[in-house]
Parts: sequence; structure tokens; C-alpha cells
Amino acid sequence: MDGYEQGRGAGPPGPRTGIAALSPPYQVAAALVLAVVVLVSCVHLAMVFLHVAPANTVSKQHGAAVDDWVYPEFEQNWKLFAPNPLQQNIAVEARAQFRTADGGVRHTEWHGLSAQDGAAIDGNLLPSHTQQNQLRRAWDYYTSTHDTKDRPNGMRGELSAEYLRRIAVLRIGREEAGEPADGLLRVQLRSVTTNVQPPSWSGEKLDPKPVIRLLPWWNVTSQDLEVRDR
Amino acid sequence: MNRLRLPAAGLSRGIGRITSTALGPYQTAVIRIGFSATWLLFLLRELPNRHELYGPQGPWSWELAQRLIADNQAFTVLTWTDSRLWFECVYGLAIVSSALLMLGWRTRTMSVLFLVGALSVLNRSVFVGDGGDNVIHLMAMYLVLTRCGQVWSLDARRAARTARARGGGFPEQEHETAELDFDRVGPVLWWLLGLALSLVTLLGQLSWGWSLIFWTIWAVHGLWWYLGRRAPGSELRALCDVATNLLHNAALFVIMAEACLIYATAGWYKIQGNRWQDGTAVYYPLHLDYFSPWPALSQWLSTHGTAIMLITYGTVIVQVAFPFTLFNRRVKNVLLAAMMVEHAVIAVLLGLPFFSLAMIAADAVFLPTTFLRRIGKRAARARSALTARTRGVPEQRGGTATGQDEAYGTGAPQPVPSEAEPPPSSPPEADVTPRP
Repeated sequence: MDGYEQGRGAGPPGPRTGIAALSPPYQVAAALVLAVVVLVSCVHLAMVFLHVAPANTVSKQHGAAVDDWVYPEFEQNWKLFAPNPLQQNIAVEARAQFRTADGGVRHTEWHGLSAQDGAAIDGNLLPSHTQQNQLRRAWDYYTSTHDTKDRPNGMRGELSAEYLRRIAVLRIGREEAGEPADGLLRVQLRSVTTNVQPPSWSGEKLDPKPVIRLLPWWNVTSQDLEVRDR
Repeated sequence: MNRLRLPAAGLSRGIGRITSTALGPYQTAVIRIGFSATWLLFLLRELPNRHELYGPQGPWSWELAQRLIADNQAFTVLTWTDSRLWFECVYGLAIVSSALLMLGWRTRTMSVLFLVGALSVLNRSVFVGDGGDNVIHLMAMYLVLTRCGQVWSLDARRAARTARARGGGFPEQEHETAELDFDRVGPVLWWLLGLALSLVTLLGQLSWGWSLIFWTIWAVHGLWWYLGRRAPGSELRALCDVATNLLHNAALFVIMAEACLIYATAGWYKIQGNRWQDGTAVYYPLHLDYFSPWPALSQWLSTHGTAIMLITYGTVIVQVAFPFTLFNRRVKNVLLAAMMVEHAVIAVLLGLPFFSLAMIAADAVFLPTTFLRRIGKRAARARSALTARTRGVPEQRGGTATGQDEAYGTGAPQPVPSEAEPPPSSPPEADVTPRP
């Protein structure tokens, strides 16, 4: 009982614990578990490392294996404001075409959707994902899955366009609350990209003129009109 | 002096340690509380916006999500049906499970439900997420494998009470053994979840891989209960204990490595950017409309070129250096404090509260045990002072109204009091940081 008094882990004469306390057949099983756990942990960390590291000799050779392991649940991206922070403000704007009561067509002004997000974030201790991420990342998603002529790169590209259109329909619906919702015929989006001017002490100067990217008019489907935020 | 021992002896000592104890009980408890609290606060923050972000009729509609999920095979229960009621239930489950995981009530079960809730919501709409969501997503999976309820949990409190009621000395490491005679909730929960899992499996909603994972976890929980009740002293039970300790320790190691990977990636990529090199990088996010909630403050800060450069360089230095400082406890602690402060500043200055909170929670896995225990004691003292004041008299419970009883007998998660400390696993002053 001396060992007991000393408590576990108090010194060499203490009771044997862990793997040492087991009889040989159980020790073999425990050793097997140990081997599997160590192996899987090491492989996992190696895979995640290759996933976050720049493309290199090993990851080029075993890219498929790394992707199989990491996607979908262990995907990660930690290039936080790296290699360089974004140095442009990308403002997404939208306008719409409504059918009027007399059977004509009315075009709305450009609505600054990003500007609304920015205003909602100002003075906000807890910005919502709807204000900070939704439109910003939807636009990233669209531009990364479309070429400059707005051709999608496949299924993901199509999804991104539909997503962006539904965001536009939702937000224009809020802006044009006076219009009957089913009168919304088409929407159009554009981005106005402005350089953030380098700090005064750097002596650099960038072109202050904004660059505009205009997307084509998109027809609004009946499914789009069902989009809700409540 | 240990370093002079033969490597073989060191190895066998190491194996003995990782098979006999679940290391870092306070560190795993603090990240459990940190991640679940972050996720809980996020869900509550987005409660008014939940439909717009994750609901079947939001901009990222159920149909769009389903097409993407069919392609990438990510796990989410929200694509099973486009019913609004189902969505509300899942969102509710995510809230409840994160609250209960934070409190450490049925920690093992709640960690699994937390995983289901977090992955379902996050994978449902990946395009509204940011780095913070990514951290929660990963850690929800790793937490399932850790014994994160050993301290500062309702489970630990209950286990200690039961152990005392039996007149035993040490509370058990896990709650299962100690409370079996009285416990009804555990088995009921287990049967209910088994039923739910059967239903889901029969309906064919789960992929092969996830079925295997959930059924294995369910079976293991059942086995634990059975062994604890019928054969608490058996060797099979001891083997299970060894296996569980191994899993816990491996998961804890992976969590730490993951945190290092985050900082290393963030730091090493920054070094390659010319804005981080010329010392102006921090200026730019302060001028992005999406990351400047306090334009006046940003303006003021960006008139101080030298300060901007120092912060820019400091950020890179800290991020790149952090993984290496783990080999020196004192330097590590200084850097840890610096990173936590920086994240707190980012939370406010860039308007990224949940990302920052998740990162602070991840950092907390490296906090020293002594520090965590001091915090725990202080919290317990503050709590009992508060209850004493509100109720007039200290709460009496059980037979012995000792100070120790007070530490346990009042509501929220409490540190295990001195009698039970240290948990058999960790020498009191130990830090879980790997040492050379």
C-alpha cells in the first residue's frame, strides 16, 4: 500500500499505470493502438502541412493524396492579410429593371451595396457576417470562377453567379420596397475598384481613378424572387 | 538531469506518461470553454440573420448548397431537407450543444453534438465564413477526441461529489465510473442518440464514412458505460483507458501543431509581401471599408508612420517566431501574451470579434498550468463571494461545509479543489509545452 500513499506518478516505487500496468496480451493491443494513433497523427500533420505550404516538390508529386485527405473537412487557409494585404476597396453596386404598372419598364439608380455594408460596420463592435462577409466573399467567389468575359469555369462558376444574383435581388428588394416584388425583371451588378492611396510618408502615388467592371444584365427567375432574409 | 538518461529509458517513460494520463487537463478545458463560447456567441449574434446566412431561402439557397455539397461531400445535416422547421431545430441544437459543452455537461456527448452543429452550419454556407469559422470547424473535430471535461466542468463536479459521497478519495478522471449507480441521464441520452442515429442511417442520409464515425463513437460510449458498471477493475477497461489517453494526447498535440501551423503560415507568407517588408502593411486594412469600423481611429493611427512600421514588423516577428519559442517556456509566455493582446486589438480595430476570440481560444492551449489554476481559483473565490452576498449565507451542501465544498457546491464550472489536485496526470507546475 505504500505506493498508494504516495499517489500516482510520485516516483519509481509507485503502482504501475498506463501500458505498464497491463498484462502482455493487452500490452500488445495497447502498443498497436499507440502505433496507429502515432502514425495517423503524423500523417495528418504532414498532409495539413503540405496543404498550407506553397506548392513544392513533395506536394506536386502527391497533390491528389493531399487533397483526398484534406478536403472537405480539413481545408484551411491562413494567408491572413498575406503575402500582402488587399490594397483596394472593391465596391459592388447593383441596379434593377422593374415592370411598371402601365406595362412599361423602369430602371433604378445604382445602389451601393458595399457602401451599405461599410456604413453598417462603422461603429459596430460586432459586425455580422451578412455585413462583412456575404457580399464581399460572394464577389470574390464570382471573380475567381469567371473569366474577364464573364464565362463561368464550370459548376462552381454557375453557382456563384446564381448566388450573387440572389444577393442582389434580396438587397434591391429592401431598397425598392415600394415596387411590387414580382415586377423585378432583371438585375445588373458592377464593381468599382479604387486603390487605397499609400501612406503620405511613403512618397508613392497610385492612380486615383476607379476601375469599373460591369457584369451583364441577368434575368431574375421566379426562384430568385423567393429569397428571404427572415 | 533527466537529459542524461538513456534515450530508451526516456522513451519508455514518455510512453508510460502518454498511456497513463490525459495531459493538459486545464489546457483542454480552457480551449473547450473558449471554442464553445465563441461559437455560442456567434450563433446568438447571428440569430436575427440566421435565415439570411444559413436558411433554406437565403441567398445561398438550399438548392445551391445542395449542388455544392453533392460535389464536395462536406458534412452538413442542413441539406437533408429544405424544411424550415428542420433548420430551426438544427440551429437550436447548435446553440444548446455549445452552451452545454461550455459548461461541461455530458462533455463527451456534447462534444459530438457540438461537432454536428458546427459542421452543419459552417458547411451549409461556406461562402459567408472567414478565418474564425475555419478555426471553429477544425477544432470542433479535434475536441471530440480529447478528454476536455476533466476539470472546470459539471461532469468533474458531479464525479467529485459522487466520489466523496462514496467516501472515496480521488475523483475519477472521467465522470462515467464514479456516478454509474445514480446516473439515469447518461443511459437515456445514449439510447436516444442511438435511436436518432439508427433513423438517420435507415433513411440513408449519412455517408458511409460518417456513419462509421458516429456509430463507432456511440459504441465506444456504450462500452465505457458497460465496463465501468460491470468490470471497473478489469484489464479491458484499463486498456480502454490507455487507448483514450492516447487519443486525447494525440489530439492535444495536433491542436497545438495546428495552432503553430496557423501562425507559421500567416507569418512566412507575410515575409514574402513587399508591404510587410516596407513596413506599411498594417496601414492598408485600416483603410478598407470592410475592416475599418472606426475610421477616425484608423485615420489617427495611420498618421503615425513609425508606429505602423513597428506594429507591422512586430506582427511578422511574433508569428514567425512563435512555434520556435515553444522550446523556451519564458519566451513562449511573453509571446503568447503579446499575441493575445494583438488579437484583442484586432477584434475591435478591424471588426473581427469572433475570429479574434477563436484565435485567443487557440492560443490558450499554450497557457501554463500554474496560471490557469490561479485563474480558476480566483474565479471560484469570486463566485462563492458573490453567492454568499446574494444569498446571505454560504450555501450548505452534503454533510461537510468546508471551503472545498463551497468550491464545488455552486453552479458553474469550478476548478477541482486542492484535495483532488493535481489530477493524477499532471505535476502541479507542469506545462504541456513540449520540452527539448
